[in-house]
Amino acid sequence: MPDDFRTLLALVLVFVPLSLLSIGGGASLLADMEHESVAVRGWTSPREFADLFAISRAAPGPGTMLAALIGWKAAGWAGAMTATVALYLPSSLLVYGAARLWGRWRGSLWHSAVERGLAPVAAGLLLSGGIAVLRISPGGPAVWAAAVIATLLLLRWPRLHPLALFATSGALFGATALW
Amino acid sequence: MSEGARLGGAIAETDAVAPEHHRIGLARIFAAFFWLGVTSFGGNTAAWLYHRMVQRRHWITDAQFLAGVALGRIMPGSGGVNLTVQVGQRLRGSAGAVAAVFGLLSGPLVIVVALAAAYARGGWSPAVHAILDGVAAAAIGLTFATGLKLLPRGAARLGPLAVALATVLCVGILRWPMLPVVLCLAPVSIGLALVQRRSA
Repeated sequence: MPDDFRTLLALVLVFVPLSLLSIGGGASLLADMEHESVAVRGWTSPREFADLFAISRAAPGPGTMLAALIGWKAAGWAGAMTATVALYLPSSLLVYGAARLWGRWRGSLWHSAVERGLAPVAAGLLLSGGIAVLRISPGGPAVWAAAVIATLLLLRWPRLHPLALFATSGALFGATALW
Repeated sequence: MSEGARLGGAIAETDAVAPEHHRIGLARIFAAFFWLGVTSFGGNTAAWLYHRMVQRRHWITDAQFLAGVALGRIMPGSGGVNLTVQVGQRLRGSAGAVAAVFGLLSGPLVIVVALAAAYARGGWSPAVHAILDGVAAAAIGLTFATGLKLLPRGAARLGPLAVALATVLCVGILRWPMLPVVLCLAPVSIGLALVQRRSA
């Protein structure tokens, strides 16, 4: 099946560079994936891409699992697995190598200074990630309000299980839509 | 340990990473990350990972978590997967990293394709989209709660707090590109850490 093989190869050629060049985490990866799969390769129509994005939001796991869906659309199960490996393997090897190099200096004065210095930046990046998701969320003010309430509940009761909160919030939104 | 050889290089040092822990088994690492994968709704793997691996299991410390987040975000790729690689590596070297990443991704891969197949049979009702909005809102809440909890606090840490808030302002609110912002703020913050160590 040379055609199938060609599609799988194309998936590798799209997702390996994305894996290695897309800096900035999920949001920038999603934008690049949309460009490649809609405009460049024609694996999905814009409408289909929006649907796949909605589906990937419903699934657990990293938001970038959307890559598996693009692969699935392009070449079935083999495509889903090819896209997943092509997207995550190169960047994982890179970060693994970097972490090991970095671990070699553990115990030195500047190693601990760098780690302590990066900590507040990392906390800021986490919060910024939340703001970025809030911004692209299609749900409007209700989502903003629910996000704030969820934040306060989790801060006030740290033992509260996030899944309970997720289920409640999902059920409330679902019920309002049915009304 | 063939994975170690395959992933590149000698393993002797990788294994030396673990002794601070009472070596956690590969099966436990895989299982923990599998469970993390199939229950981390809302897309923010890092916040869920903090809840499970730091707060519940105490497998890594706050400081190790934040260092992993920072490196994971600066490097290309998905921040959550990059963080998972590092946690697995800390716990059990190269084999730990492989177990953690496979654990994290295998469940969601099957689930997301199954959902897409279901969706192809006639789409979803508006109620499903509303439920997804609700879940997304809770996920944002979990992210905010995690970030706020990890902010530096106390009178001695006003400098680091200012760095964290500057990061939020530049990246989160003004939407400047992340990498240049980090490259400007990180040296300042590292300098602060060095000075504080010296005066302490």
